[in-house]
Order: sequence, then structure tokens, then C-alpha cells
Amino acid sequence: MCAVLAFERAPGLIMDLPQFLENFLQALTAGLLTGAIYGLVCVGLSLIFGVMRVINFAHGDFMMLGMYVAFYAFGMLAAVPLFGEWLSPYLAALFAGPVIFVAGMLVHKLLVSRVTGMRASALASEGHYAQLILTLGIALVLQNGALYLFGSAPVSIQTPLASTAWLVGPLHGERVEIFVNQGQSIAALIALAVVLVFVAVMNRTRLGKALRAAADNPVAAVYMGIDVARAHRLAFGLGVAITAIGGGLLASSISFQPYVGLEYVIVMYAGVVLGGLGSVPGAFLGGLTIGLVQQLSTLFLPNQLQNAAIFVMFLVIVLLRPQGLFGTAARRT
Amino acid sequence: MRRETVLIIGFGLAYAAFAALVTHSYYQLILTVVPIWAVMGLAWNLLSGYSGFVSFGHAAFFGLGAYFVALAQIGWNLSPWLGIPAAGVVGALAGLIVGIPTFRLRGHYFALAMLAYPLALMYVFEWLGYQELTLPMRRDAALQFMQFEDHRIYTWLAAGLMVLAMLLTGRVERSRFGLSLIAIKEDEAAAEAAGVRTLHWKLLAITLSGAMAGVAGGLYAVVLLVVTPPAVFGMLVSAQALIVAMFGGAATVWGPVLGALVLVPLSEFLHAQLADKIPGIQGVVYGLAIIAVILLAPEGVVWKWRAYRRKRARAAPAPAAASPVSPAAAAQRASGPERPVIFEARQLSKSFGGLKAVRDVTLQVRQGEILGIIGPNGAGKTTLFNLLNGFLRPDGGEVVLDGRSIAGSAPDRVCAAGIGRTFQVARPFRRMSMLDNVMIGAFLHEPSAAAARAVALDALAQVGLAEHAQRLADGLTNKQLRLLEIARALAGKPRILLLDETMAGLTGAEVEELITLIRALAASGLTIVIIEHTMQAMVRLVDRFVVLDDGAVLAEGEPARITQDPAVIDAYLGRKWRMANA
Amino acid sequence: MLELRGVCADYGGVPALKEVSFGVGQGELTAIVGPNGAGKSTLFKTISGVVPVSAGSIRFEGRELTGVPAAQRAHLGIAHVPEGRQVFPSLTVLENLEMGAYTQPGQRAWRANIERIYNWFPVLATRAKSLAGSLSGGQQQMLAIARGLASSPKLLMLDEPSMGLAPSIADEIFERIVSIHGQSGLTVLLVEQRVAEALHFAKRGYVLEAGSVVLSGSHDELMRDDRIRQAYLGM
Repeated sequence: MCAVLAFERAPGLIMDLPQFLENFLQALTAGLLTGAIYGLVCVGLSLIFGVMRVINFAHGDFMMLGMYVAFYAFGMLAAVPLFGEWLSPYLAALFAGPVIFVAGMLVHKLLVSRVTGMRASALASEGHYAQLILTLGIALVLQNGALYLFGSAPVSIQTPLASTAWLVGPLHGERVEIFVNQGQSIAALIALAVVLVFVAVMNRTRLGKALRAAADNPVAAVYMGIDVARAHRLAFGLGVAITAIGGGLLASSISFQPYVGLEYVIVMYAGVVLGGLGSVPGAFLGGLTIGLVQQLSTLFLPNQLQNAAIFVMFLVIVLLRPQGLFGTAARRT
Repeated sequence: MRRETVLIIGFGLAYAAFAALVTHSYYQLILTVVPIWAVMGLAWNLLSGYSGFVSFGHAAFFGLGAYFVALAQIGWNLSPWLGIPAAGVVGALAGLIVGIPTFRLRGHYFALAMLAYPLALMYVFEWLGYQELTLPMRRDAALQFMQFEDHRIYTWLAAGLMVLAMLLTGRVERSRFGLSLIAIKEDEAAAEAAGVRTLHWKLLAITLSGAMAGVAGGLYAVVLLVVTPPAVFGMLVSAQALIVAMFGGAATVWGPVLGALVLVPLSEFLHAQLADKIPGIQGVVYGLAIIAVILLAPEGVVWKWRAYRRKRARAAPAPAAASPVSPAAAAQRASGPERPVIFEARQLSKSFGGLKAVRDVTLQVRQGEILGIIGPNGAGKTTLFNLLNGFLRPDGGEVVLDGRSIAGSAPDRVCAAGIGRTFQVARPFRRMSMLDNVMIGAFLHEPSAAAARAVALDALAQVGLAEHAQRLADGLTNKQLRLLEIARALAGKPRILLLDETMAGLTGAEVEELITLIRALAASGLTIVIIEHTMQAMVRLVDRFVVLDDGAVLAEGEPARITQDPAVIDAYLGRKWRMANA
Repeated sequence: MLELRGVCADYGGVPALKEVSFGVGQGELTAIVGPNGAGKSTLFKTISGVVPVSAGSIRFEGRELTGVPAAQRAHLGIAHVPEGRQVFPSLTVLENLEMGAYTQPGQRAWRANIERIYNWFPVLATRAKSLAGSLSGGQQQMLAIARGLASSPKLLMLDEPSMGLAPSIADEIFERIVSIHGQSGLTVLLVEQRVAEALHFAKRGYVLEAGSVVLSGSHDELMRDDRIRQAYLGM
């Protein structure tokens, strides 16, 4: 009641309550929908960090590649009558997964494996920075190589669903109505499904358990007969593949160009750090939170500062609570 | 003048003379940009190259410098002659402000946080409406506003700045400041234990580094006349600073300059030739360059060159291994139980997770004695040392020095208070010479490099390593490593020396040498606490034993009594042994 | 069954093993004792392949091991139970055991093995669903040993199983090891600082000092040898 009174006293300064409520709920919805995809993207990054202790600066650029793979795949799939324009955006996004998986395995085998893994950990601090800087180099090559391949003009996957929305409401005395974008909703559900499948793989299968064991203690994993180099390669491939699927899903709601990865790499790390580096469920929740913060910040901040808000939030999290908000940091003995 | 100073100034003059011959405006611009990136590389190098804290965000300082100069000229009509130095101040302040919170982070987190600063600033400047800032033309006062008709003057200015940055870097490298930064890079904890105020030096480094980057950014704005957020805050700016420095060789004066000389013209040239066909060519060049450096020569060109020269110089046989100068036969030290207690632990406890590593340990160290702390593996001996020297904060209890509690003090404070230590697994600064290693310890009381060098040489002589002073600490024998650590601790003039398993892994003869050395140190008045796993050598060395088992004090007393103590024999050799040999 | 000849190895640039030679017979319990820094853990790591040998040969069941990658050696039947337990803390007890059974022989014999393991260590059965990181030190040690057993090994290497444990718990672990050896006839190689316990049940013992074998013999010979007492107690 006090709030309402305050609004009545200063009607010129602040919009009226139902209007604010509608904007808030609209931003909340948008935040949850994008947040689910951010969550998926973060899960991929978190897997790589959790298993390999590698900070992959090029992760955003693998996501960018996933977006372009989905973009071109969509072009081909949409022509197939069976899939049409409704199904093909999602099939294209899922298709990006295996393509980028292979690319990731190759990049790991040829480049990343030479500065990471058990050999590198013996090099103490050297190996630690070598991988950071190597992935920076990979990021530069991917970004600028993509500029050559795909051009600098922003593109996006155009789907009819992207411009269709369900109307929720009217609520609250017929004055509040929310639009729920159909394309984004389906994308968010697919993202959630991919995360659940991934969690099941990690918890139920022999491969998933071996990856977790290698993450916990790589030397002891070798004593068990686990090929840790192969585990790392798989983790890297899987990690970039999951993120590429996320990128593919995002490609129908935003327009993108070859440098898009850079904007998202901080978004992703913000989510992963928020969730506690290395924790898969934490990373999903972290990504979800980042999506919410990004959309809710539009209520208070100009559009250009959306990403600045995420970066500031990221810095605050890293500085104040580096072990993440959800639970404790991944343990390692 | 030092030879290096002459070389640097000579190089600057040669560069300026070469630039004087080039009149084509595009090549002229490249010649101007090269030293600007060299200064950026040197700025990155001063922080990240020497201290090992890798920054992915030097664009923040560069961009602030560039925007400051541009905005100050637009808004206040401020001449760049004042604006560029002021941009240095802005960069320095930004460095300090960024450094204070960010140095609480290590490794991955530090790198990520640094990445976020320039990107956040980029969006802020876009939002402020500075998408494209053009410096106003001032034909009326060209000289005052650095708007020269003759573009070679920009090159000369940039070359001058480069020379200044190189000279500054060279000065830092030879000073206490530079050596402390390298020690931090090699092993931050060991540096702290040797008395290095790590945060102090890191903050100084990022402040200076920010200043250099700010100046580089300011000059960049004046030369290019246009400032946009992506051009000065973008990822490529930070990456370029890092890449030119790492390509040429981090932690050197010449490396960043060499990197800029090779990579900047290469990428500019390719950009000019191929930009219409291959638009991202610059980024690809830098990306490939850094990938190649990391995979083929992670230390960079300059270090590779130095290693090559050293290899050729090493035709002469390496000096024979030295034996410690046997100090004059250890004098019989006055013993007696009534020496005053100077250092004690009172009911110290520490747990890790559910494991109680140290529980309720109380012990006294008396002035001038040699106290042995022994116990089986996992008994909590090293944890106890880490509590005593400030690496760990106890869960309960107190550490008392001269009647004052020091529990919770930082390791460098504890070291400054007179407690030196060595490590179970030797932790030398591997890529520093033995002399530099020991100088790090000596700086505690001797801030000037010359005085510290003298103290360090003394300490090396004391342990018998004097003739190896210039050798790298990498590749030493186990015994030499142990002696080096003792020398490093001694150089800080401690009153109490904590030795952590100094004799582990040594042969019988080497153990005898160490016993002689430790006795001599004690005879000179030093109080010594030594951890050892076995009692073998210890019974002939120590005045008193404290036996730890399972984190608690099991027994305490004279060697003769301890070796007969049934509880001690049980802990060491097993109950079955005692019964079999009863 | 296992034979080392002139094995040398460096660890962190420092020579850690110098010309170590010894053999372990089928079904024997062999103990290696020696003070800290003598190279006992490095010796185990060269056998399991995590530390490369710089000279010499290691033969296991007649097969030269030096060219075999570390991860492959577990599948040949070598189980290394490392110093300090090193269980996988974020995996459950059961998952830890499953990782032990990652080897081909371990997968085939999983049901039989798990039954025997739960018999030897009933506490692991009751805590099967708990995270390994939440176990006490003694329980983690039991899990580490059980994890090794789950691989159906031919050779079980135990590195300081009593380390950092309260004396009574260390006793219990030790008795369990001896009874497992007795019941299963498994070949066991044991590094232990509690010399008497280690030697009591061992067929042969070796004393390692500064990277070399300085003494070897049967239990009785070693127990009578004053040099061991000197090595530890100095008098």
C-alpha cells in the first residue's frame, strides 16, 4: 500500500503500478526463456572447466560457429517439405552439436592437448597460462576466419514462430497482459531437455562417471585405467557441442555476426562462476540467472548498458564470492 | 652509462633516423604505430611479464588514456602536451583502482576479471554517446595541439616514448621491485615466506603499467585523430599488447619491442594488401602468431636467443659441485633448560574438512636451541609449520613471539618479525640465479640492490654455495636446493629458522654436511626448529624433541629419553616391533 | 611376477630412484620400508606408469612395461592404491567402486567382487550412496583399497595405507589387508612406515634409502637387523 501511495504522490516520475507489473512480468518471461538457453551454453563451458580445469577463451567463438552451422543447415532443411519452417530451426540447432563436437575434438587433439592435461600440470604455472593464451589465439583465428567465411553482415534464422506469441492474461484487473514468444519457448524447452539428457549421461553412464572421476582426480583416474587424455578430448568436444546447440537455438531470436562470441564469453563465464566453477547444475542455474538479470535490467537501464550490467555483476561475483552463489566450489583433492 | 642504456638510446636514435627517410604517409603511419604498440607491450610486460599475473584487459587503461586526451581537448581545450601525461595519471589511477580488488584473485579468476573491465567500459562509452570522437582540427595552433604537417614528428615522439618505457623497464628489472615481481611469478607463497610484500609490489606494478598504457592510448588518439570504443577498448587491443610481449619474450626489455617490430608491420601490411579479400586478416595473424609462440617457444624469441647463446657459451665444463665450506667446528653450545622461551604455540588447532590435521598443539621454543619436531607421515608437521609462519590461520589457539600473539599475521609480516623458513619440497625461484634467489630474502632489511647483493653473497658463502652464485636455480641437486633455501632464509637475518624436512632424500654423507652446517648456525646464535620424518640424524643434532602423531603432541623431551619412549616406538616402528625387541 | 632391474627415475629434475632392482613372486606380500623422501612413492609411480623410468626395465608377468601407457597398466592387472587415499570426492562410494572396476577384468567380475568387498568392508555397503568426500579418513582408506580390489587385480600396490590415521584405525586397516591377502592369495606390494607391521606378514622386505635399496631380507632377518632401528630411531 505504501508503494501505491508513493506512486500517487509522484505520478509524473514513475509509471503506474499495473504498467510496471506488466513490464516486470514481460521481462521476467523473456529472462526465463533466454536464461534457459544461456544455462545450456554455460553447461557446456562448465563441463570443460570441470573436467580439464581449462579456461576456454574461444568458447564463445565455438558458439558463434554453432550459430552459423545452424544458420546454413536451416537454409537446407527448410527446403525439405517434411521439416518446413517450423521444425527446421530446431533440427538445425541440434545438428550444430555433432558438427562442432568433431571440430572441438580436432582442435583439442591438435592444439589444446599440447598445453593441457597431465603433462602440463607438471609445468606448474607455465602450463596454466599457456592454455589461457592459446585459447585466446584460437578465439582470434576463429572470429576473424569467420569474418572471411561468413562476412560481417549480421544474419539470423528467420522463422514464423519467432514472431508468434501466446497471450497470457489479462491479469490484475484486465490491465496486465504478457506475450510469450512461441519460438523462444520451444527453444527454451529444447535447451532444458538437452541439459537433462546431459545430466543423465554424466550420472548414469560409464563414460559420464569416468569423466567425473577424471575431473575429481586425474592421476587417480589413470590408476583406474581411465585414459585421461581421451576423457579430456571428449569433454572438450562435448562442451563446445553443447554450447553450439545453445548458439543454434539462440540464432533464431537474435541476429549475429562473427564477433558475437566475444559478447557471450563474459556472459557465459558470469553464469559459470555464479554457479560455482565446474558444477553442471550450478552452471545451468547461473546461466538462467544471467538471462534474468539481463532482461530485468532493461527495466532500469538503457539498452546499451545491458551487457555492462552483466559484466559488473560478473566482477562483483568474482570478487565477493568466487566459489559461486549455489553451493560450494568444486572440490578437488 | 650502462651498456644496455646506450643500446636502448642508440636503438631509439636509429629508429628515428630510419623514420626520417620514409615519407610515404601510409608507411609513416605504420612506423608511428609500431612504437606505440611497443609501449603497450612494455606496459603489459611490466605487470604480466614480470609478476606472472596475466592481464587480458590492458585495453581498459589504453582506452581511458585515449578518451581522456580526446575529451580533454574537445571539452577543455587541453593541449595533448599536457593531456598525454595526464592520460598516464588516469591510467595509473585506473590501474590502482582495478588492482586493489582484483589482486585478491588468482590465476583463472584474475584473468577473467581483467577481461571484463575493458568490455564493460566499451559499453559505457557507447552509452555515453562517444561512438566516434574526432579530435578538432587546430591549424591555428598546430604545435600546441600536436597537429604536425610533417608526420615524422609523430614517429619521433612515439620512438621517444618507447625509449623511455624501455629505460624504465630496465631500471625496474634490476631493482628490488623487479626481482620481487619475478619471485612472485615463480612462487608467490615462497616469496611471501621470504618476506616479500607481494600485494605492495603487485599494486605498484599495475599502477605503473596502467600509466604506460594510458600514455600509449593518449598518443594513439593524437596520431589517429579518431577514437571509437571498439578501437581502444576492444579485445584486440588487450590481445595485441599481450601477443607482442609474449612473441618477443615476456619479462625482458627488448621482447615487447621486438614483437611489435615484427608483428605490427606484418599485420598492417597484410591488412592493406588483403583486407578487401580477407577482412579479418589482422586478427588471424595475431591469433596464429600467439598459437605458434605457445606451441613452439612459449618463452618468446628473446629467451630462445638467450638460451641459444648460453648453450654455445657452455662449451666450457660446468664448475665442479661444491661442498659446503665446513664452518669452524661447531662450538659446544651452552645448554641448559633455563634459556628463555621466545616462540611458542598455544593449543593450536587446524582442521581441513573433517580431518583434524593439528589438534591442541602446545610447544615452546627456547632461545638458541635446536628443537626437533618429528612424527610419522601425515602427523601434521608441515601443517604446524604453516600455522607458525602464517600460511594458515589457526582454527583455535595462538602463536606467540616474544610474548605477542602473531597468529593470523601474513607470512611476510611473520618473516619480517624474524622467522625464516624452508619447505618440505624445495621451492626455489627456478628461473632466477641463486644469487637473485637469495637477494629476495636479503631485501627484507636491505632495500638497495647493492647492499642486498652483499648480504646475499654472504649467506651463500655461509652455506657453501658462493661459487655457484650466478647459476640458475633450476637443475640443482637436492642438496644444493636445500642449501639454497637455507641461504635465502638466512639472508633475511632471522632469529628463528624453521627447517621443513631439510634432510629428506639426502645420502648419509650429505646429511652429515647439513648437520655440521645447522650446528654452526645454532652456534652463531640462531634458534632452529627442524621437522624431520626419521630420528636417525636428528638424535645427534637436536637438543630436544617434540613428537607429533595424528596431529597431537605424543611426547616431548631429550633425545635419549624419546628414543626409548614406548609410545614413540609404537608410532614409528609399530607395536609389534617393540614386543619383538623387548 | 613383477621384476625391476636397474630402475632409475627423476622426479622434478632431481634423481629419485637409483638402480633399484627387486622381484615380487606370485601370491607374496612384499614390503618396502624406508624414511620420507627415500623414493617409495616414486617407485610405485614408475610401476603404474605415472612417472617415466629414465633407465632400467620393469617386467610384469614377463611383459616389459616401460612402453605401456599408464592407463593401460591397470587393465593388465596392476592396482595402485595411492598415498593419501585419493578417492574421488564428488562421486558416491558405489561410483568410486565402479571406477575401480573400469578395467576389463573388473567389469567381468563386478558382481563377485562387490560381494567380497562388502564382506571385507561392511561400512562401504552401508554408505554406498554417500559421497566419498564425506567419509572419514579411515573409511576413505578402506574405499581406496576396495576400489583397487574392484579392478580384479593380479598385483595390489598399497602406498602407506596407515598414513594420517589414528593408531587404532591404522591397526584395523592393517589387519584387514593381511586377511584379504590371506583369503584371496593376491600378490601385494606394500609401502609402509610402520616397519614391524609391514614386515611381520611380509615374505620379503626391502629397505629403501635415498633412492636405493640398501637392505633386503626375510622378515626375521630384517627384524633382527639393527640397521632398521638405526634408520628410524638413530640409535
